Amino acid sequence: MSSCLVFAPMIGARPGELNPLEAEALAEHLATCAACQTRLSDAEALSSLLPEALLAEANRRDFATFSDGVLARIPALAPRRAKEGFALGAFVRRHRLLIASALVPALLALSLLVYLALAAPEPAALVDVVAEGRSATVLETRDGPVVLLGDEGS
Amino acid sequence: MEADDLALIERARAGEAEAFRALVVRYQRKVYAVALGIVQDRDLAWDVAQESFVRVHAHLSEFKGDSSFSTWVLKIASHLAIDALRKERTKDKEELDEVRPGDLALGGEGLMATALGDDPLKSALRRELADRMGEALSQLPEKHRTILVLRELEGLSYEELASRLGLHKGTVMSRLFHARRKMQALLREYADLSGGRAGSAREGSS
Repeated sequence: MSSCLVFAPMIGARPGELNPLEAEALAEHLATCAACQTRLSDAEALSSLLPEALLAEANRRDFATFSDGVLARIPALAPRRAKEGFALGAFVRRHRLLIASALVPALLALSLLVYLALAAPEPAALVDVVAEGRSATVLETRDGPVVLLGDEGS
Repeated sequence: MEADDLALIERARAGEAEAFRALVVRYQRKVYAVALGIVQDRDLAWDVAQESFVRVHAHLSEFKGDSSFSTWVLKIASHLAIDALRKERTKDKEELDEVRPGDLALGGEGLMATALGDDPLKSALRRELADRMGEALSQLPEKHRTILVLRELEGLSYEELASRLGLHKGTVMSRLFHARRKMQALLREYADLSGGRAGSAREGSS
């Protein structure tokens, strides 16, 4: 037990942290002391478990806003970001998804209007004529004239 | 150092915000873990971690690449965490670092080592101990908590710990001994309270 008092604080030292004499004496003690062998195993286990536990705790936290918070605290970066906010290029880069989602329906609507304008029949020319006492209307269409006869009684 | 840390650092030095953001995202969780381990307060740890990166950015031009970027960031984070504690702490009863005969009887007695292993019972205990670790850490005196985190998470050597904490190497060793012993004792309390599952695991391992 008395030698454990000397060696227990050395347990957990990494290679090179003890001087050669200390390291040799510790190794000799460990070879014969079950209690210090257990202490060594526990120290090694703690070295492994503690970082694991703290990193697991960190991983449970949502870091989505962390970097924004950091950049907002840095004057050299924050004004630049504010200035960029007014630049069209930066605005487009930052909001490209939003812009795309607004542009797609607008472009589709524009395409539909152009198509309808091009596909619509030319306005028909109307010519009124009177023949044999019956009025008739000649409709000039793309497919040729269409005569619309008026009522006989009129 | 990760292969493109230096490239990101160069771009961040040139004022590219997104390059610096990439460095932040790469190390934010580890920086937070170190801060949390020391200050034991999630909001304060969050603040300390963010401030660490602000300091990193302010001194980016001084980073020479002699050590890894993560080592440098974690060093700044642990400094800030210790400073934050000093500002907030209430005066704890100071304990001696000396190792006395009675100190040898209060450890975990193999519990920690038992928690490691491949069989399902040991793995379950390992998970339980990891879950319990944060709470146990918060019950340690500040000086023991700090030295454990600096040693086990930041990876400092005895000499680096001595320099960082202003202690002699012998004091570093005995303080680490006390910190481990208390941690193991707290975890053993938990294992005993949770129905002797750890005890079963210990018996199963022998």
